[in-house]
Amino acid sequence: MAPLIYSALIISLGLGTTMTFASTHWYLAWMGIEINTLAIIPLMAQNHIPRAIEATTKYFFVQATASATLLFAGISNAFLTGQWNITYTPYTLTSTLITLALAMKIGLAPLHSWMPEVMQGLNLLTGLILSTWQKLAPLYLIYQIQPNNPNIFIALGLMSIIVGGWGGFNQVQLRKILAYSSIAHLGWMILILSFSPPLALLTIIIYILMTFSLFSSFMLTRTTHINSLSTTWAKIPILTISTPLILLSLGGLPPLTGFMPKWMILQELTKQSLCPLATMAALSSLFSLYFYLRLSYAMTLTMPPNNPAGTLPWRLNPQHNTLPLALTTTSTICLLPMTPAIMSLMPF
Amino acid sequence: MSYMMYILLFGLVLGLVAVASNPSPYFAALGLVVVAGVGCGVLVGSGGCFLSLILFLIYLGGMLVVFAYSAAMAAEPYPEGWGSWPTLRLMVGYVLGVGVAWGLLGGWYEEDWGGFDGLVGESVLRGDVVGVSVMYSSGGWLLIGGGWVLLLTLFVVLELTRGLSRGALRAV
Repeated sequence: MAPLIYSALIISLGLGTTMTFASTHWYLAWMGIEINTLAIIPLMAQNHIPRAIEATTKYFFVQATASATLLFAGISNAFLTGQWNITYTPYTLTSTLITLALAMKIGLAPLHSWMPEVMQGLNLLTGLILSTWQKLAPLYLIYQIQPNNPNIFIALGLMSIIVGGWGGFNQVQLRKILAYSSIAHLGWMILILSFSPPLALLTIIIYILMTFSLFSSFMLTRTTHINSLSTTWAKIPILTISTPLILLSLGGLPPLTGFMPKWMILQELTKQSLCPLATMAALSSLFSLYFYLRLSYAMTLTMPPNNPAGTLPWRLNPQHNTLPLALTTTSTICLLPMTPAIMSLMPF
Repeated sequence: MSYMMYILLFGLVLGLVAVASNPSPYFAALGLVVVAGVGCGVLVGSGGCFLSLILFLIYLGGMLVVFAYSAAMAAEPYPEGWGSWPTLRLMVGYVLGVGVAWGLLGGWYEEDWGGFDGLVGESVLRGDVVGVSVMYSSGGWLLIGGGWVLLLTLFVVLELTRGLSRGALRAV
């Protein structure tokens, strides 16, 4: 893509999220979300292959529907309460409608069906932007709604954890697996949002670190399928050590960082006397652990009976930038001992 | 005046049903024209005549005309109007849905929506005209943001249609 238009689109992506973060008026918040949607559309379609165009079209339809619902709910709220402030949504109708519209925006179950198919049609970098940056603005708005009862958040959250795990069972395409992983992690976030918003913030930050490292590992070796994942040991052997650790961190296993948000969330739910809910959420995330384990099994613990994956490569100077991968991988694996320090930073 | 608003809103719902029942783009654009027209009428009835005029000019006369010409270029050999059974069944379904809503909500009644009068006190200027001037004065940054969004949309469309038949708009 031409550099000028590329930078205009990236700047608009930043502008949209910034506008939503900085707004207290529904109109401006909606405008920021629309700018994000518009700016990512050409990024999705940049290689012009039919599968990418299909993914772009699906994404556009879903996001347009959700945006229209969001605008409608914001205007209804203004009609009923007489003012446009985001934080003032005392009526259940409008706050539920806003929650559902934003849930469709970020791909929470039961409004998640578009997510794997859209993710599958994108290249890995655009998929990364979709699953990290595009989630920030809607999550911030959901954070600010503060509805009367948390039931809808609990329902969306638990359903997303179950669907995100169960749906990824039979997948061999890595991008679809990453989409289902995104659904499950967002489920954890929404689950805890009404009880402890700082924990939701912690979850999204840790999730962004983990998913950035996983996407970067896949981008380094250009793998999109379990088959090609299983032969990456010959290309970059160090990845066979780091990627399983990243995957297990995503699955939420101690002593890796991914355990931190789950641990804190289960503790908070227990403090709120919601032990059955905590049990169900913890057991449902075992589903996701299954396919993360399968990926690490295919990558590290097996050597597929193929012809040799390649002759021994020349050790040339690497052309790719590995600093982001190094930073995020380190934080994905090693941050659990920092839990007390991070918790002290969270405003409770 | 109530009857006028009633007829206009009735036409609005019928036009929405006509668009949502998924006919060919020619007929859907006609439905959109009807909806925009009666919407402008509703605006006039509420006192916002300047806003209504702008809506007519820019939306109907600008964008809808462009859309209609683009739809005309994507010609269909057998365009599906509102007489064809799939579209007609959707139309009947939506009208019945309106009836169900009437029954569930216990009917709806006329309510004064307020209007553009009295928004800025009793002054020479009405609410809609004052809104335009506020957009240029206090709302300066929002105007720039709005202008950037329009420019961005242009870039998006140009980027998506770059390459003609080699780009995103191939006949696949």
